[in-house]
Amino acid sequence: MIHDDRITRREALAQVALLLGTAISTPTLAAALDAGAGDAWRSPLGWVPRTLSPDQLELVAVMADHIIPATDTPGARGAGVHRFVDALLTDHYPADDRQRFLAGLGDVDARARSRQSKRFSECTPVEQVAMLKEMDEAAYSPGGDLSERPPETWFFRRLKEVTLVGYYTSDIGASRELRVNPMGLFRGDIPFPPSGGREWS
Amino acid sequence: MITYDAIVIGSGITGGWAAKELTEKGLRTLVVERGRNVVHRKDYITEHKPVWEFPLRNARLSVGTKGAEAYPIQARTSQFRESNKHFFMPDRKNPYVEEKPFTWIQGDQVGGKSLIWGRQVYRWSDLDFEANLRDGHGVDWPIRYADIAPWYSYVERFIGVSGEKLGLPHLPDGEFQPPMEMNAGEKFVKAGIEKVFPDRHVTVGRVAILTQRIGDRLPCHYCGPCERGCSTGSYFSSQASTLPAAQATGRLTIVPDSVVHSVLYDAATNRVTGVRVVDAKTKATREYYARLVFVCASALGTARILLNSTSTRFPNGLANSSGVLGHYLMDHHFLAGASGHIDGLLDRYYQGNRPNGIYIPRFRNLGDDASRRDYMRGFGYQGGASRGGWGRGGGQVGFGIELKRRLQEPGGWTFNMTGFGECLPREDNFAALSDQTDEFGMPVLRIHCTWGDNELGMRKDMAASAAQMLEAAGCKDVRTHDANKVDALGAEPGLGIHEMGTARMGRDPKTSVLNAYNQAHDVPNLFVTDGACMTSSSCVNPSITYMALTARACDHAVAEMKRGNV
Repeated sequence: MIHDDRITRREALAQVALLLGTAISTPTLAAALDAGAGDAWRSPLGWVPRTLSPDQLELVAVMADHIIPATDTPGARGAGVHRFVDALLTDHYPADDRQRFLAGLGDVDARARSRQSKRFSECTPVEQVAMLKEMDEAAYSPGGDLSERPPETWFFRRLKEVTLVGYYTSDIGASRELRVNPMGLFRGDIPFPPSGGREWS
Repeated sequence: MITYDAIVIGSGITGGWAAKELTEKGLRTLVVERGRNVVHRKDYITEHKPVWEFPLRNARLSVGTKGAEAYPIQARTSQFRESNKHFFMPDRKNPYVEEKPFTWIQGDQVGGKSLIWGRQVYRWSDLDFEANLRDGHGVDWPIRYADIAPWYSYVERFIGVSGEKLGLPHLPDGEFQPPMEMNAGEKFVKAGIEKVFPDRHVTVGRVAILTQRIGDRLPCHYCGPCERGCSTGSYFSSQASTLPAAQATGRLTIVPDSVVHSVLYDAATNRVTGVRVVDAKTKATREYYARLVFVCASALGTARILLNSTSTRFPNGLANSSGVLGHYLMDHHFLAGASGHIDGLLDRYYQGNRPNGIYIPRFRNLGDDASRRDYMRGFGYQGGASRGGWGRGGGQVGFGIELKRRLQEPGGWTFNMTGFGECLPREDNFAALSDQTDEFGMPVLRIHCTWGDNELGMRKDMAASAAQMLEAAGCKDVRTHDANKVDALGAEPGLGIHEMGTARMGRDPKTSVLNAYNQAHDVPNLFVTDGACMTSSSCVNPSITYMALTARACDHAVAEMKRGNV
């Protein structure tokens, strides 16, 4: 495994952010990471969310980073998935979907308050993962019509979907976690190694 | 007075061909294009752009999403994305009245839809040209395969077609470059289907994409999204192929941003004399004159221009003494088929983005008893196999490191196929002028088009036969699909983007607009060679037939001109 000390630093900073909760705003964090971590945070200085509040942005970043955490490559936070989500909500989602997604974020905090008497971002990673597991299992439980499931079902599926899109279409996700399919030749039927092979992004 | 030898309305697939043929035969030719200019290479602004550089990561801009607001109709096709929306027409520029669900996809630029077309090219056969005569729907084609075969060859050699020869009488072989390769999943399904159904064939798609160089057009480099434009000219477009050839003669003039309002007609000589144009930017009107007019404005665009070209002699539209202009609108119906999983083959993969899939030629109603069904005509399938990508994670339980590890490797194989079915020509499927006008002062079309019982019956077989073949091939979890909904969007007419038939060819001037050479029965120096000319629809992708008919019509027109007949 290749050791990348930039990632270590990024992970450390992400951990700090997690511990500090909303005390440090994400744009500020982004700027901090930009200063030291090169290409990991390709956000122009001064980037601010256009739909999400700083608290909501942080909530998205925390949840997305649990869905796709840092390993030997950066995770969702490192790939800026939360900024992508803000762009989607602002420039792509119809108004009713946007409201539904924002309401879903509110429900997550409500769930955290009822379980832990804290906002989700203020819970420990263990507590956060436990709550996400509940939502994940409810969202993908077999049977039943999707439309008849409780609202958080829609929200969690959507959150996971946008996290995957945001991550695997980022430079990090597409070209470091996975491989960009090279142009040049087409080879229709080639061997794939039994382990360690990576799919084309 | 600005006079040319010939005027071509439209610069898409057929307009480009008309421009090339007419200029190469010595005619000073004006191409009038309603959309903006698109310069080969320079204006392919998203070509090879990495996905992470798109703010929405090349999102599919579906109806109702922000980003698709100016495109409520265009956004209905899955082809419409963040990366190529600039090659579609904002709907306010050419609105229409939708009496029944009908999707009109429009490429509003020099090159037209040749920039964004599907590139699948299949020859017709006499099974198609004789279909109307055989079952009595529509009128008889005035031509047969032998009339067009040499023109198919002529076109194929110029545009470059890669594909595999099959020796089938109902899907004639052409002048093919080497075919693209199938992947392991496709080879598996092909072997399985052909073993159980010896009369059916699975082949790689025949596409107007080079696997060998032609002049300065290079073989495909498999970047994938052709619809963003191709700087190496590897797929056929007007920009890469026909317009440069026309330009090279020194006899071509193109005027973009010029909306043709009507074709000018002189009753004294019974000839068209030119076109009236509205400048798309200034709205000023101007006229161009020529000895010959080719209308290549797309099936519906052409119908609209001709219907709007009225005179005392032709009060219901130019060259419309038959009254059929605008009627017999057809499209291919699709989005009915099946998909299934393939066990194993996890040690096989592919490299490069092949802009092509597989094709299963028609096997129903070929004239033999065995394949006959309770509907008329037939369908072919397009599809392909692939291994699951990271998107599959969105439909599965689990998150965290385990999910990330799981999505690092490709998933299992899936094979998906959808039928493309022939549509019968019916008088009650039509486009006519409404009483509303657009920003250029032209009446907008009202379009009334529905699938009939024959199409709906065929769709059931399209889904069922797909499932039957996939199961026979050994696929698991086989599921059928049919996106069609009654009087609603899903697989509505127009969505196939093969609209055709509004100024059909025929033997009898009383029941058709054009003769065997795409020449108007009523007006000898007026030609229509786009999809409007089609007398029936076959089930194969139509563009190469339009191209061959265009080249043939140009040959005839210039010969007639030299004889002094037009």
